[in-house]
Amino acid sequence: MIKFVVSRQLRLLPGLLSVFLVLLFISLPQPGIADEHQKVEGISNKNPGADLWRNVRQRDQELLGSLKSNSQGSSQVKSVDSKMLINQQGDLWARFRMEQLIKYGMMSLGGILILILVFYLLRGRVNIDGGLSGNMVHRFNSYERVLHWVLALVFLFLAITGLTLLFGRTLLIPVMGHELFSVIASSSKEGHNLFGPIFLVSVVLMLIRFVKKNIYAKGDLTWLLKGGGMIGKSHVTGGFFNMGEKSWYWLVILIGLLISISGLILVSPNFGQGRVIMELSHVVHAAGALILIAVSFGHMYLGTVGTEGTNESMRTGYVDISWAEAHHDRWAKECHEKQLIVSAEQYAKLQGRNPINSEDSLSLEKNQ
Amino acid sequence: MARMKFYCDAERCIECNACVTACKNEHEVPWGVNRRRVVTIKDGEPGERSLSVACMHCSDAPCAAVCPVDCFYTTDDGVVLHDKDICIGCGYCFYACPFGAPQFPSDAAFASRGKMDKCTFCAGGPEDDHSSAEYKKYGRNRLAEGKLPLCAEMCSTKALLAGDANMVSDIYRKRIVNRGASVMNWGVSYDNAKLRTR
Repeated sequence: MIKFVVSRQLRLLPGLLSVFLVLLFISLPQPGIADEHQKVEGISNKNPGADLWRNVRQRDQELLGSLKSNSQGSSQVKSVDSKMLINQQGDLWARFRMEQLIKYGMMSLGGILILILVFYLLRGRVNIDGGLSGNMVHRFNSYERVLHWVLALVFLFLAITGLTLLFGRTLLIPVMGHELFSVIASSSKEGHNLFGPIFLVSVVLMLIRFVKKNIYAKGDLTWLLKGGGMIGKSHVTGGFFNMGEKSWYWLVILIGLLISISGLILVSPNFGQGRVIMELSHVVHAAGALILIAVSFGHMYLGTVGTEGTNESMRTGYVDISWAEAHHDRWAKECHEKQLIVSAEQYAKLQGRNPINSEDSLSLEKNQ
Repeated sequence: MARMKFYCDAERCIECNACVTACKNEHEVPWGVNRRRVVTIKDGEPGERSLSVACMHCSDAPCAAVCPVDCFYTTDDGVVLHDKDICIGCGYCFYACPFGAPQFPSDAAFASRGKMDKCTFCAGGPEDDHSSAEYKKYGRNRLAEGKLPLCAEMCSTKALLAGDANMVSDIYRKRIVNRGASVMNWGVSYDNAKLRTR
């Protein structure tokens, strides 16, 4: 019992000793305070060199300090940011691009592709229960389909040229050398700049054409909670567009506009925008584009091999009524009510005669 | 091998902009491009100083790190140069550079960037020394002629120093000593030089 008490006290000893030392240190006279009176008479030991270099670095600038002229120096050379001696944000931006953007961009795009492949191997193509009926219903007219494919092709072109510029140094230069890659990168840059505005126009037209059908409605939350039918076997509900399609639409519109605006800032340096604005635009442009490309892989998968009967809607403008019932039950119900369904025979005749020119399947019914 | 460096003495630079003019003339730099510029801080206020700034030929150059086509290279003299045949004029080096050295001639629609142009330390480019192709793209190759950069060579107050890093720092160190720098009087003030002799 006694032994235990002693050992306990011994263990407390270092702690008590340190508290004592701290108290001792505080009670000692502070040398700095005593010397201050003597220094007042002496010369100021302020370092003028330090002041100079503080000014050179222009550290008092804020992130967007390049916009304010009063925090800058002056120069006879009149060009963008010529009054600024040290570019504070350049290193931050360069490190973001080289260490984060390229690395995580590759990882996320590669990861999504692997994820899709694994899903395909596990689940395979999502087929319609009971197979396709052969009876078709009109879904997209020719304008909508042309708009979709213009946007899709421009997007693909911009994605390929943009990714060439982003990943080319890491992936392509070791394979093809500097000279050949320079030609490819140069044409990528020019092509990217040329087709960028067409992307903006397509996105705006897409916004105008489809905005009404893409407003979230009742039942969309249930779709989300059921993972769009990917989770479990239960049936999911959807209107003309289901929750997944609406979300992809809004992603394209919002990120598409963001990419377009930042792209226009980057492509035309003739408005005198400084480096900080350019760097921020680049970050927005690249990050937004990578998100859009990653999600577009999913869209392309679902539109082609992912689900049965989907690609018809953007090829011929018609979809199978069974497909509509499976993915867009509310819209399918509407089609049944309005008697918009075209039989297999009618559909075959229509394709032979006038494949893309029918504005509405209703007019077709009248002609029959 | 030498390690080439620029140094601008802020106590000597009088903002005459002769370095800018000399550079433009020597290399026949296109309109809108200034490989060198003089920046004045605190213009018209006490403590006004001017500094001549161009490419500082960094050891670990951010422009070279960020270039998407990898067109930069460092010579044996430590001069950072770039290959205009490889450059695509994307402007990333300008965003990354701490000194705003990379410049772009804008000759197409919407001022789209041409191939980047920057200070070469008067060392030309990857083409053969003194060839007309080299002169057209990068200007005179004075280093190959055994001469130092013209901006520093003709600086009237010898504020701008260029050459081997050791030589430059030797010259600058002597200046600092002569100006009366001491523990009591940090920096380079001439006013307080008398303190040293007191």
